[in-house]
Amino acid sequence: MKVAYFSPMPPERTGIADYSGLLVPALQERVDLHVVRGGTRRLPRGTDVALYHVGNNPNAHGWIVGALRRNRGIVVLHDFVLHHLIAGLTIARGDTDGYLDAMQRDSGVVGRLIAHGVVDGLLPPVWETRPQEFPLADSVLDYADGVIVHSRYVEDEVRARGFNRPVWRIPMPTWPVPETEALRLPREAAVVIGCFGNLNPAKRLPQLLRAFAEVRRRHPEALLVIAGGISSRHELDLHVTESGLRLDESVIHLGYVEEDDIWPLLAACDVLVSLRFPTMGETSGSVIRTLAVGRPLVVSDVGWFSELPDAVAAKVPVDDSEVETLSAFLDLLVSDSALRERMGSAARELGRREHALDRVVDLYVAALEEAAGRDTVRSAVCADVARAAVETGLDGRSRELDGVAANMRELGL
Amino acid sequence: MRVVVCSPQVPFATGGAELLAENLTAELRRRDHDVDLVTMPFKWYPGTRVLTSALLWRLADLEEADGRPIELVIATKFPSYAVRHPNKVVWLVHQFRQAYELDGTELGQFGPDVGDRATRRAVHRLDDAALGEARALFAISQNVADRLRNSNGLEAEVLPPPPQELDYRFEENGRFVLSVGRLDRAKRVDLLLRAAAADTSFDVVVAGDGADRVRLEDLARELGLDSRVRFAGRVDDEELARLYATCLAVYYAPVDEDFGFVPYEAFLSEKTVVTTRDAGGPLEIVTDRQTGVVCEPDPAAIAKAVTWLGAHPDEARAWARSGKELAARLSWDTVVDRLLGS
Repeated sequence: MKVAYFSPMPPERTGIADYSGLLVPALQERVDLHVVRGGTRRLPRGTDVALYHVGNNPNAHGWIVGALRRNRGIVVLHDFVLHHLIAGLTIARGDTDGYLDAMQRDSGVVGRLIAHGVVDGLLPPVWETRPQEFPLADSVLDYADGVIVHSRYVEDEVRARGFNRPVWRIPMPTWPVPETEALRLPREAAVVIGCFGNLNPAKRLPQLLRAFAEVRRRHPEALLVIAGGISSRHELDLHVTESGLRLDESVIHLGYVEEDDIWPLLAACDVLVSLRFPTMGETSGSVIRTLAVGRPLVVSDVGWFSELPDAVAAKVPVDDSEVETLSAFLDLLVSDSALRERMGSAARELGRREHALDRVVDLYVAALEEAAGRDTVRSAVCADVARAAVETGLDGRSRELDGVAANMRELGL
Repeated sequence: MRVVVCSPQVPFATGGAELLAENLTAELRRRDHDVDLVTMPFKWYPGTRVLTSALLWRLADLEEADGRPIELVIATKFPSYAVRHPNKVVWLVHQFRQAYELDGTELGQFGPDVGDRATRRAVHRLDDAALGEARALFAISQNVADRLRNSNGLEAEVLPPPPQELDYRFEENGRFVLSVGRLDRAKRVDLLLRAAAADTSFDVVVAGDGADRVRLEDLARELGLDSRVRFAGRVDDEELARLYATCLAVYYAPVDEDFGFVPYEAFLSEKTVVTTRDAGGPLEIVTDRQTGVVCEPDPAAIAKAVTWLGAHPDEARAWARSGKELAARLSWDTVVDRLLGS
């Protein structure tokens, strides 16, 4: 089985490139897998199945969507909300009609009218204000022969769009944890709370800072370490100050962290926080790494994050009491080392059981094998049914054959 | 209750699964249920025929018969559990093993080409759907339940079937080792023949028929065992009980068997069992030096085990009696209660 693999790859700085950097060598031990060079839209000769990794970043995934539209295949949907991607491939390139069509495909006439409002400057850009209400995922799903997702949440969303081809749910794999010593932080602290990743507004930094300020009042020994790119240092300063905290004292910002430095940093943390709202249906590489190192998690109770077991993650509803709830969870974890230990062990066990790379590769191979020969199998079964139908005088308009087709679908045939 | 038991049938082949379905039907009838056994021919080759066979079960309308509702359907082995019914209970004998643990072995069916690989995966997806929708799942052994959990992530309650009713008794420790069962390669009767060739202290009686019989008869001739091995073919109940009652020990060492009635029947006749460490289901009742001998799947090891049992008849019978206690615990009352009351 020859697989054409379309994905951003390291050294690109994206979570999906990191993911593929981990997955590809392991998959290549099991299948004849060819990583397609970035920007290429043709399939390698003799390809049995093409695998397209699609995320919400038009710069990283535009060429992949272009290749998908040229040759259908299996889509690995890393985000469900693809509004940024589709807007980047249409309106940002002057293709207004493409954006109008995508919005209409998503939400009918209402979608098209809103898109007109955006194009004419009468409405603020949807991709900045409420992309989750117009995910534009159909613009990709329409070309997919099957979809690989990482969560039940996205599976349900995909099915809710009426997608009736195969969906495989394959968890994100854990990275092997290197032997490493904990990073020496600029300040000593009894308990270190970490928050990693690209710190965009969906990461709810102001809420985290306000909650941490409450914790600090009761536990001055606690330290918050924020690591990841931010759009504005000034904004961070503002949020920290507004919360009554002081940057470089109770809060440390480390900026973007290279892959090699992530593990020592994780090792230095006692609790990891990963808040998210709105969710684009994504999983979090930071959370998966946290499972691998066995640390307790505090997450928003949304999307994929809600699917984490309670034994592993405290889940904070995104509501009026968000800050209070978050503060209470952090307070508990800071003061109870036995609880941290239990949740950390459960996290490590979950990583080993559900997110082991071997298991993920098994699931990928199963999906690829099913996808590569699906048409062959379906044709053969249909031929048996058709021959029996013809020989017994049933024609293609027979209601009996509708029943046969429905039964075949139920059995995944 | 109006019940249908579903079991596929390979024409001209009979084995433990067919017996289980027939016995279940009889036991339900004995308890005054209105019950019938529904079978369909099963052919698993070539190519995707295995899937078409499953589809046939799906198309069968067993929700009512002759204008009266069927209240419960009990499906047994692949592909009968593809049947649709709002009250479907599966008492799983086995899945289509060629698509699972036998894949890639000499007992597998699917090759490396794209169509074969996808057919195998389609069997998995079909099982996910057909078994996943059942109201209750039971497995005839821990081995079958473990495979189901590992392959499909589904949990089944272990519910072993009682052995058939025979005139079980102990008469004597004869000089022959008895092999009972359908003759196919997976049963590994050839290991016993090679063991007999290596050790002349015992003879062999092979009760059963099947596709591997000619090969085994040829092998016996090649090994010079003509006068020491008897292929009895399919024997009736009376003859089977007599063979159990008069043998030295019973050999039963298939590859990763689902369950295996034979050890239970041997124990009820107070005969111990020689099996191998990779036999699967039989290991749930045959424990080394407690109820039988568990050895390597190797003729020399099997010969050594038989020789030892011949020299230690008291220990052999004591082990068999321990096994008999385990076998006596299985009852149709329990099986029927669980299947109907689940």
